[in-house]
Amino acid sequence: MVSIDVENLELRYRLRQKLSFAPTDRRIPTGGRIEAAGGRRYVTALDGVSFSLQAGDRLGLVGPNGAGKTTLLKVLYGIYEPTGGTVAINGKVDALFNINLGFRREATGRRNIELRGLINGWSQDEIAARMEEIIAFSELGDFIDMPFKTYSQGMAARLAFSIATSFQPEILLMDEWIGAGDPAFQEKARARMKQMSEDAAILVLASHNMALLQSTCNKILSLENSRVKCFESTETHFQKK
Amino acid sequence: MMKLVRSAFTDIGDGIRMRRVWMALAQEDIGDQHRRTALGPAWLLINYLAFAGTFIVIFGQTAQSPDYPAYVAIGLFVFFYMIEVINLSVSLFTREESFIKGTTLPLTVYIMRMTAQSAIRACYAFAGCIALLLLSGTPVTSFWLFSAVGLLLILLATPAAITVFATLGAFFPDMNFVVQNITRLAIFLTPVFWVHQNEGGIRGIFYYWNPLTYFLEIVRVPVVAGEVPLRSFALCVGMTAVLWGLAIFCLGRFRKQIVFVL
Repeated sequence: MVSIDVENLELRYRLRQKLSFAPTDRRIPTGGRIEAAGGRRYVTALDGVSFSLQAGDRLGLVGPNGAGKTTLLKVLYGIYEPTGGTVAINGKVDALFNINLGFRREATGRRNIELRGLINGWSQDEIAARMEEIIAFSELGDFIDMPFKTYSQGMAARLAFSIATSFQPEILLMDEWIGAGDPAFQEKARARMKQMSEDAAILVLASHNMALLQSTCNKILSLENSRVKCFESTETHFQKK
Repeated sequence: MMKLVRSAFTDIGDGIRMRRVWMALAQEDIGDQHRRTALGPAWLLINYLAFAGTFIVIFGQTAQSPDYPAYVAIGLFVFFYMIEVINLSVSLFTREESFIKGTTLPLTVYIMRMTAQSAIRACYAFAGCIALLLLSGTPVTSFWLFSAVGLLLILLATPAAITVFATLGAFFPDMNFVVQNITRLAIFLTPVFWVHQNEGGIRGIFYYWNPLTYFLEIVRVPVVAGEVPLRSFALCVGMTAVLWGLAIFCLGRFRKQIVFVL
């Protein structure tokens, strides 16, 4: 059974800033709380985060910039390793973060589909079998054989979404960008996401677009200052507003 | 300590299992580097031949040795490979930031991708090196097999060196410039085109204390001198073992922290 169980999750990392000859280190975190301990500085990006999702759940992550939404998505995807608590995930996970992440700018859209397939562990046969369906869904037409760097943001988003959802991941993590693309494609994307949730998948979507969250999600996790502010049904959350 | 070693081997094991990914990405890299050029990767061969030819012509007359073309041809081939690997390694994780922050690929995938890319690029120079050896009348003997073993040892050391330098570069951005400056000087401080004749002084110091010397010798001496440099082989095996020890430490200790420093 597809599920996500997060218990008292903590992500704390050290801000390394002395290993440079530059007078001031410009590496700064994008969010979280900065704390000093023993002459070192640490960023607490997530602190005591707990929630549970079952098959069919569509979770909306909300909170101000730097609250920990993207960080939480990256922990769920496995890019960041938690420093405390537990994360138990049952199901095949795929993710859509910044649309430019994980794509080769010089390669064509078609080659990027192959490379993403390989990265996701698909076989050559699986890639070949899905290729035309991905191209058709992305509506890129002849642009599929053009370099990725020539794509507009909307085109890149369409390709990224088409690849990520073509193999029907059991858990799909998305960060913000779903608003990209024209209204017709957004409608298509929403229909595919709905189909996925009906097929008992879990969706986790971080966004500031309340209308999108209200129409897509059944649960809301609100983060503030790296901690959970509330975890409740979408109905309850928006009734309070 | 065991946890650290296990973590490193998990990454290495996962990376080896994903060999289709890094081999495909390495091919992409080669294609990208020469996209829109008329000669494509053949430029790698031309670059090598231009350098080797220049050194042979300019310094060959003063070297007074019939083996000098072979000496320079092999020296430059091995030296260029090692220097390119070191130079590119330092910025490896920074260059791969988009993939490291967007996918869950093990770091070994990036390391092996660079190893494969460097090996493919070196094949072009290797073809030029063999051509120069044959053109200069260097006899083909069974000692060439020891040179092949030397090359394999260098190839074995490559992923370890990449891991160490890439980790250093990720945590210490100034390493890019430190390494660039050192490698620019290295061609003068390594017996690539100058011949060491047991003299002391500065040249002797750089000959004996420069680790690159021994990696050059295990490939060059069997072909040029027709003997097996056992001491150099032993030192290279030792240095490779140390590099792998450091690489396993870097992977085990820092592989999950790299993403936070990019």
